[in-house]
Amino acid sequence: MWDAFIGGLLINLQFNSFLYMLVGCAIGFWVGILPGLGGGTTLALMLPFIYKMSPEEAFPFLLGMHSVVATTGDITSVLFGIPGEATTVATIVDGYPLAKKGEAGRALGAVLMSSLVGALFGASFLAFTIPIVRPLVLAFGSPEMFMLIILGLTCISTLSGHGKRGLMLGLMSGAFGFMISLVGQDRQAGVLRFTFGQLYLWNGLSIIPVMVGLFAIPEIVDLAVRGTAIAGNVQLGKLGKGVREGIKDTFRHFWLTVRCSIIGSLIGILPGLGGGVAQWVSYAHATQSAKTEEERANFGKGDIRGVLGPGAANNSKEGAGLIPTVAFGIPAGSGMAILMGAFFLLGLVPGPDMLTKHLKLTYSMVWTIAISNVIIVAVCLLFINRLAKLTTIRGNLMIPIVLLLCFIGAYTSNNDIADLIVLMVFGGIGYFMVKYRFPRPPFILGFILGKLAETYLYSSATRYGAAWLLRPKVLIILAIAVAFAVYPFIQKRFRKEVLSEPDKI
Amino acid sequence: MKRWGWVFAGVLFLDVLCFPFTIQAAAPFYEGKTLKIIVGHGAGGGYDRMARLMAKYLPKYIPGKPVALVEFVPGASGLIAANQIYNITKPDGLTIVTVDRGLPIAQLLKAEGVRFDAAKFSWIGSAAVEATVLCIRSDLPYKTFEDLLRAKEPLHLGSVGPANTSHQFPILLKEFLGLKINLVIYPASAESMLAIERKEADGRAGSYSSLKPFIERGLVRPVIRGRVVESGIENLPVDEDLTKDLKGKAIMAMRSAGDLMGRPFVAPPGSPPEAMAILREAFSKVAKDPELRQEAEKFMMTVEYVPAEECLKVVNFVLSQPDDIAREFSKYIKF
Repeated sequence: MWDAFIGGLLINLQFNSFLYMLVGCAIGFWVGILPGLGGGTTLALMLPFIYKMSPEEAFPFLLGMHSVVATTGDITSVLFGIPGEATTVATIVDGYPLAKKGEAGRALGAVLMSSLVGALFGASFLAFTIPIVRPLVLAFGSPEMFMLIILGLTCISTLSGHGKRGLMLGLMSGAFGFMISLVGQDRQAGVLRFTFGQLYLWNGLSIIPVMVGLFAIPEIVDLAVRGTAIAGNVQLGKLGKGVREGIKDTFRHFWLTVRCSIIGSLIGILPGLGGGVAQWVSYAHATQSAKTEEERANFGKGDIRGVLGPGAANNSKEGAGLIPTVAFGIPAGSGMAILMGAFFLLGLVPGPDMLTKHLKLTYSMVWTIAISNVIIVAVCLLFINRLAKLTTIRGNLMIPIVLLLCFIGAYTSNNDIADLIVLMVFGGIGYFMVKYRFPRPPFILGFILGKLAETYLYSSATRYGAAWLLRPKVLIILAIAVAFAVYPFIQKRFRKEVLSEPDKI
Repeated sequence: MKRWGWVFAGVLFLDVLCFPFTIQAAAPFYEGKTLKIIVGHGAGGGYDRMARLMAKYLPKYIPGKPVALVEFVPGASGLIAANQIYNITKPDGLTIVTVDRGLPIAQLLKAEGVRFDAAKFSWIGSAAVEATVLCIRSDLPYKTFEDLLRAKEPLHLGSVGPANTSHQFPILLKEFLGLKINLVIYPASAESMLAIERKEADGRAGSYSSLKPFIERGLVRPVIRGRVVESGIENLPVDEDLTKDLKGKAIMAMRSAGDLMGRPFVAPPGSPPEAMAILREAFSKVAKDPELRQEAEKFMMTVEYVPAEECLKVVNFVLSQPDDIAREFSKYIKF
């Protein structure tokens, strides 16, 4: 195994492989920054370029691109409040308020450093679990998946504002997201739900226009109304110090970063969940680290921990996300399906062979994820001051460009004009949610998990009848879910009750 | 005299009108033009891969070597693309689309949103057949159809929903062959394959091309196939032969319509016949291109041209079914 481990590194250090990885990183940098344009789509676009490459060149190229996307996507989220990727929405919640306070440098430093920690953790997770990866993935059957989704949904209680009213609003928002996820043809009977005669709605609402609308449009409206730059009238003198501060923050809350990386990796293994869910669970976990009620209330208004958690998780899921594809030849998600096309094209059959015959290549993937993130974070840190200065540009100069990027991003999901309508509709919904203090993160969780919860409940019941409820692993996860759900209330008993209004997130 | 003057002017005018066409006829139809290939499904799937393969190799066989571009119009299982090309796209021979193979079935079932007549498209043909097989986990003791009949426990088969082959093929086996089958629905085929790996599901039905890697790896073995055949599964029993129920036979035959035209390509109704002739010939030639075949093999795809007439025959067969069969069919098959 050590041979393969070192062999994998040597593959990556070959001149051609390294060069292609750099090219991949450069492309991934831009893909991440641009909202909407996702890693999956770009993999499809890059596929023709690998025809003439060897596997040792192609994978550093493709993975180098794919694995830095979440890192640079965080930058867009922090600077503009627009999700650069579907997996970097949670970074907005605390990152953007920091940018508004003129602490963009600190937020960027923290998000880049935590991304790096997350990526390195994710890569080593992949490296060390390779020997036990098959039983690990197979441990989760449909009933366990259903319970994990329930566990994810319990994060709603943590993601809601404080107080009874905050919880109520959070639950309503989550239920609304759940309902929106049911739009489209249902999987069980093929019935069309909430489609109103529109073919566009058959496949359900795409996540990009919904998220960009929900998070970016209200911020753009806000920016237009304020009439200032993103960073308001705050003096932005000591950016460099801010960046250093942000990096230090990562190490100040190092165990939180690591715990969130673990969350990202564990969720990343499970097909269907991935980065979309991992970021929110880790954000919820970060908010739980608040010791006092004031501290908790500061989440959503610019707490650095709210940036560190998702920043780490959406990168650490990258290594783990490869596992189903590499170990079983079963791609989880469209990005991985395209990557699997690359495997075939290069004459490799993903599956158990990758863990024995081609182990070296598998380890070279691990190294690619690690090295490309080190490079991209280093590059970003070099340019970070300039990037952070974007937040001092006058709002009415930024708005047209930012809005254009939002529209392009939304349009790439289906190439349909209806994408733009969805963007605007959810922009409106997002605006009113902010105005009336409905928290948006529970909506997103409900939206991502709703249909999956339904499908897995159905498959558990058709496969096992009622017996699935008594499986030991199901009971264990249920216990954890209950603990998760009541934890905020227990925690509150030991804190002083002070504030009444729930926060705007 | 005046009238003759007008006639003369008219003839002259017509001549002038025709002039550019007579020049063009000398140059190949597609010279300097762009052939747009629309994919009715998302990126990364089988339809996408086939369209890209065609875009790469087709120009070689079209006189004038046009540029071929792939564009996505996904949504509603390919209905959006089909509607668009039927009703909006100009029939100029420059736009073709790879539609969902279930198109005629959607029309027969009067699915919501169908705004086309599948028989009226300008058919180019299909670039592949997609044979359907039922695969069962290799560690189970069932090797033949008879073994399956004798099974005491129901088979838990993975499915991704009633609008999919993985559901439709087994449900007909259950209904007309009396197999004990319990269909378990998963979010996507990736999840249902994983369920087979962890022995939660006992197998699944699907296209032979997508199951082949798992058959070769020894995870599952094929047991029954549909009417359409590919090399490697010739000896499997065919679902239609195993039932004595005439209605069942008809319904199974109708279901297999989509298998024969696995990757259908059509152009808008009323596309210029000369362009269609060029495209059909190009498709039939490209399917034999050694370079393409080599590349397709890497992707574990097989390319086999099914001519337009055969596709139309299947479409008409499905669409001409009497009402009672159509009603019966709609009990099992959804779009």
